[in-house]
Amino acid sequence: MPSWANGSGRLPEPEFIFLPLGGLRPMSQNGKTPLLQAENISLSFGGLNALIGISFEIHSGEILAIIGPNGAGKSSMLNVINGFYHPQVGTITYKGVTRHRMRPHEAAAKGIARTFQNIALFKGMSTLDNIMTGRNLKMRVNFLLQALHWGPARKEEIEHRKFVEGIIDFLEIQAIRGVPVGRLPYGLQKRVELGRALASEPDLLLLDEPMAGMNNEEKEDMCRFILDVNDEFGTTIALIEHDMGVVMDISHRVIVLDYGRKIAEGTPAEVRANQVVIDAYLGVSHD
Amino acid sequence: MIYRETGQFKSSYVSDQAIFPLSQDRWMVFSVMGVAFFVVPFVASEYWLQAVLIPFLVFSMATIGLNLLTGYAGQVSLGTGAFMAVGAYITYKITTNIPDIPILVVFLLAGLVAAGVGIIFGLPSLRIKGFYLAVATLAAQFFITWLFNKVGWFYNNNPSGTIIAPPRTMFGIMITGPEATAETRYLVGLAFVTFFALLAKNLVRGRIGRAWMAIRDMDIAAELMGIRPLQTKLLAFAISSFYCGLAGAMMVFLWLGSGETETFALDVSFQVLFMVIIGGLGSILGSFLGAAFITILPILLTNAPPMVGIVMPIALSKHLEEIIFGCLIIYFLVVEPNGLARLWQIAKEKLRRWPFPY
Repeated sequence: MPSWANGSGRLPEPEFIFLPLGGLRPMSQNGKTPLLQAENISLSFGGLNALIGISFEIHSGEILAIIGPNGAGKSSMLNVINGFYHPQVGTITYKGVTRHRMRPHEAAAKGIARTFQNIALFKGMSTLDNIMTGRNLKMRVNFLLQALHWGPARKEEIEHRKFVEGIIDFLEIQAIRGVPVGRLPYGLQKRVELGRALASEPDLLLLDEPMAGMNNEEKEDMCRFILDVNDEFGTTIALIEHDMGVVMDISHRVIVLDYGRKIAEGTPAEVRANQVVIDAYLGVSHD
Repeated sequence: MIYRETGQFKSSYVSDQAIFPLSQDRWMVFSVMGVAFFVVPFVASEYWLQAVLIPFLVFSMATIGLNLLTGYAGQVSLGTGAFMAVGAYITYKITTNIPDIPILVVFLLAGLVAAGVGIIFGLPSLRIKGFYLAVATLAAQFFITWLFNKVGWFYNNNPSGTIIAPPRTMFGIMITGPEATAETRYLVGLAFVTFFALLAKNLVRGRIGRAWMAIRDMDIAAELMGIRPLQTKLLAFAISSFYCGLAGAMMVFLWLGSGETETFALDVSFQVLFMVIIGGLGSILGSFLGAAFITILPILLTNAPPMVGIVMPIALSKHLEEIIFGCLIIYFLVVEPNGLARLWQIAKEKLRRWPFPY
């Protein structure tokens, strides 16, 4: 148990309001300027074509769902977006800048944050430290001052701590602040991971199966957080999810991948009615 | 005084982020430091200072250094002895050529050189991890000891090939050399270790420490969050080697009085690594506990039987000592693989509830 959770000491309420991450942006669902534009992306590993000629746009302020059967290339798509994989063909234009190769830490610096399908938290660190790590990019004080923990270093640490406390309140994880994340149950770990991604104030948030392995209640909580993040902070969200109920309920647009190809795109209602999508999921009878 | 945090309210982030948030901890640390600085030098015998306390300080410094690298940043290194050698030889080289630089400043300069060497041998860490990296750092161990043996320039071409701590004073007090008293050397070492342990603690609780631990726990996620792996790992190598370099300088100039490459052989690297593991990976306190366990316990084991009146042949007692020492290491690692620091933490948790456990 963390020392403050024993009724012995309480941290004060942070004296600030959790302000919009990444600034207020008008929702532009049928956007004029896409936040991110992928053109003709092809990615292969040896003989395996993970992505074949995929083009799509992510508009500012929307929630975009990427769905598809297992192995369709959804996670590869996210990995391409944040620079972890480099496509052999195609370009990605993000915030008006076209890039060819980008290292993941550069993507992070440009405001792309993500969570992982298999939780990738820093297991040895507390919840607080995990989320504080999300602020690392925003911290500037050099290491000599940090070693002395004096003046600017101390001030900076406190400033970011306040911001992180805002996220902790938002995600309702106050009680597990000091607990090493390795000891947390799965659902909470997912939530901490979302918090860590939010801490970097992303413009584009990539969520890889945020609801995987959760019970209904946890799913509802997570949906609420995703909608709130999108609503209150205007963060653009691209998510991969297998729970169709969730996808149809919360996303503005849906992209369907199958065997590395984009087979459909549109509003949830359009996609649901699309015969190609139904075939991809249920299979086609060959008679 | 019962170990209890009841009534200790933390009303600011500053107090919540303090190194020792509990006043009991603070008082204990302050009293330990007080005793170490103001009581020990006056009561400890020459033997205790020279054979127990000074080596403990030297190894604490090296263990903190390796713990920053292995425990916090997750990069296994077997080059500790080499980095210590760099500290010692460079200190010797600088102070014999430019005797006017105050010796403690020379220590720091040598530490910086060791940091540079650490960066060079840390470069492979970008590509290789774990055991493979450990083997790659062995290159540092063998190359540097070979270099200091082979190139006479490092030991001023003296025929014995050893480096000998020359007499050096600071503020009129003899700090190194044969005439320096054990008390002085102990106090200088203690001041160094205290100061740099504090710096290490500050580093690991801030941005850099979090970056290190992020790289250690999940390097891909860390990179996707904007932590640059190469810089982060090299900084860990640099700072770790700085500490090891300081430890090496302290070893020759505050403890042994002379040294050769054999002083910094692979054994030393392993010894320091064991201290880190037994003390607790990723814990500054653990570094002290591990160093104490490995430097002090054998001496206690040697001295304990005569103290209680058991007389046995020296060979027998020596062997018994090694057997008991080995058994204790195994025992502690089985009881708590996370090291003595974790045991200490568990003890504190238990103490909090004592005498009314629920």
